[in-house]
Amino acid sequence: MRNANGTSNALRKTGPLLMLAAPGLLYFLINSYIPMFGVFIAFKDINYAKGIFGSDWLGFDNFQFLFKTTDAWIMTRNTLLYNLAFIVIGTICSIFIAILMSELLKKLYAKLYLSGLVLPSLISMVVLSMLVFAFLNSDSGFVNNSILKPLGLPEINWYSEAKYWPYLLVIIQMWKTAGYGSIVYFSSIAGIDKSIYEAAKIDGAGKLRQIRTITLPLLKPTVIVLGLMSIGRIFNSDFGLFYQVPLNAGALYSTTQTIDTYVYRALMQLNDIGMSAAAGLYQSLVGLVLVLVVNSIVKRVNSENALF
Amino acid sequence: MNRKKGMAALLMSVALSGSVLTACSSNSDSASSSEEGGKVEEIVFAMPSFNRIPDDLSKVTDAINAITVDKIGVKVDFRVYGPADYTQKVNLALQSGEKMDIFTTLGQFSNYVSKNQVAPLDDLIAKDGKEMTAILEKDFGPDLLKATTINGHIYGIPVNKGMALPTSFVYNADMLKAAGLSSDNIKTVDDLSAIFEAVKKSNSDVVPFGPINVNPSDTNLVNLLKGTNKIDFLTDTSGVGVVIGGDGKVVNFYESDIFKNGVKMMRDWYSKGYLQKDAATTTITSMEMLSSGREFSFLGGYSGMEIGKTISAQSGKNVESKRIAPFYFDTIAANGVSWMVSSTSKAPAAAVKFLNLLYTDVDLINTLLYGIEGEDYVKVDEHHVKFPEGKDANTVAYTAMFSTGIVGSESLQYQFEGVNWSDVELKLKENKETERSPYFGFIFDQSKVKTQISAVNNVVNQYLPGLVTGSLDPETTIPKFVKALNDAGAADVIKSKQDQLDQWIASQGN
Repeated sequence: MRNANGTSNALRKTGPLLMLAAPGLLYFLINSYIPMFGVFIAFKDINYAKGIFGSDWLGFDNFQFLFKTTDAWIMTRNTLLYNLAFIVIGTICSIFIAILMSELLKKLYAKLYLSGLVLPSLISMVVLSMLVFAFLNSDSGFVNNSILKPLGLPEINWYSEAKYWPYLLVIIQMWKTAGYGSIVYFSSIAGIDKSIYEAAKIDGAGKLRQIRTITLPLLKPTVIVLGLMSIGRIFNSDFGLFYQVPLNAGALYSTTQTIDTYVYRALMQLNDIGMSAAAGLYQSLVGLVLVLVVNSIVKRVNSENALF
Repeated sequence: MNRKKGMAALLMSVALSGSVLTACSSNSDSASSSEEGGKVEEIVFAMPSFNRIPDDLSKVTDAINAITVDKIGVKVDFRVYGPADYTQKVNLALQSGEKMDIFTTLGQFSNYVSKNQVAPLDDLIAKDGKEMTAILEKDFGPDLLKATTINGHIYGIPVNKGMALPTSFVYNADMLKAAGLSSDNIKTVDDLSAIFEAVKKSNSDVVPFGPINVNPSDTNLVNLLKGTNKIDFLTDTSGVGVVIGGDGKVVNFYESDIFKNGVKMMRDWYSKGYLQKDAATTTITSMEMLSSGREFSFLGGYSGMEIGKTISAQSGKNVESKRIAPFYFDTIAANGVSWMVSSTSKAPAAAVKFLNLLYTDVDLINTLLYGIEGEDYVKVDEHHVKFPEGKDANTVAYTAMFSTGIVGSESLQYQFEGVNWSDVELKLKENKETERSPYFGFIFDQSKVKTQISAVNNVVNQYLPGLVTGSLDPETTIPKFVKALNDAGAADVIKSKQDQLDQWIASQGN
């Protein structure tokens, strides 16, 4: 009797929250958990006449193609380094924007600027790739014709010189995502108790001092949570950014090839779902391991900030 | 209070489960009723169209069914997809177990077979496909179905059309004239350099030559070399493992002098400024460049002699074409577009009956291509049609006029007004007269080396567009390219091909 009352009480308390979480949970259930049944496809030699369950087991053969070439090293390195750069530089940029916005006195301006900064993240990568092309193409591009030429510098054939692309891709990614990323930080800053700042002001702390000793430390949990979440996807890359934006140019593969683009290019002609499943499984597994490792490190340093 | 809420929830759940139950029962009802319908079998038929995809296919579907239900007792669920998502849609349907009975391939025939996605058709063709076999024999020759036979079973029916695609030089005739030259100056590919120079001199704004396909860029150089040097790609487009000149030895095409010299010629053109600087990565096709008057020419493989006229009509420029290299029949040239029946099809016999009609029935073929007579097209004479007064390809309710190379038999298709009918006869003649590779009918089974093939494809994508457009220096790039191919396992692919080819040759001897 008492027990039943207890559960219904708990349900009454958490019910509304569960309702709020329901769409998100449903999303993960449908898109992440149910498809997990398909993991075994990665170990099968798919034969349509025998069906998915009846196909022969292959062991780890499907995984071989990921490691077969010298490209394996390049694409893993690219995926990891780009994502690290995106996480680090992205966090810095987003926090920087969020602090600037929160210091604006007129809230109307803050909203206006923030909307302007969020806008790029709504642009599709295909459109973005055309925008970039307008800047960089060698015959009529803006950079070659309106910047380099007047300065008397030699024109650069952007789409055949791999060395510029690490910088270009980071800049493009930041332009697209930093504004959107700053929303979370902006709202956590808004949530900081104003009396702390007032106390600091009375103690004679300037703006920079306030940011350094109040805003940043209080943002730390947010940074850690968001950081952990992006580290879980460190082996995945934004396909549009690495495939569409460099226009699939072969000469740029050494700096634009990531695991996703490699899998796409390699399997386009083979159309082998076993091998694609293997690639996906590999990415998720490494992601999971990385999250666990990073989380345990965070736990050791400061157990309150760890995700679980 | 609490109890009330509980009641409400209970009611809700009852209502919900009730609706689920009724949904189930109504479903089973409809299923059983269609089964009771009996003799008329239903199949799904998916066709690629290069025209605007119509929103409403019901009228055309009705017209098709009027023919098929009457003649063979088969009801067709007609689907039309654009070229970009056709393969994807079909594969998705096959993988998810959705109903998909008849589909075509855009170049991946052996792949579908090796994964058992398509059904062997021998017995069914012998029973229900006699007319189809007859017309294939009449228009191409007795050995066409060899190109779709694997391990003694026929898995597909190649589309029946002009399959010889000799490399043609397609150019803006007005620009050639302005440069003081005529089509007599073009005979082989070696003449082109001088022509580009003259065009460039007379009109410096124009790009003399461009890639026919973009992303990845392709100048048709490989096909040109294939035709001139009698190279059989052995049904795998990667180019690793080809036989040159029918000597039975499988080699890496990219290591050959033929490839090297071809690429050197492109490099020469590129460095003289005959191609755009970004030819390897441009996203603008030659067709668009030609239409806007910014480009002079490109190379393409076309059957018949009328391609200049077709392109003139599309581009609004005075375009002519001139053949500069012969064609060489290898297996993939014939099975590149083949119709197949899904291995999961519930009604393979009905599907083959429909295929039989697809190759032999004038009404069906032309309904699929041009829609409904009087509404979507009008007949001009026995062989020719045009759009109704005041309509064009974008305003008629249905047309798939650009799918002529995909559907049925070209000899039974209506041609668009202005196209010379004798061209169709020429295409059929060339089908029979074009030189065939001694390995015509050999199909490479990739499944044993698919890891290597996927790696090799990646390397080819990386280097080939830059080489065939001349953007990369062959002297330094080819060695790197070949090394990367070897690292990717090219030797395994070549060896596997050689083994299979030797076996195939041995089996042909019997």
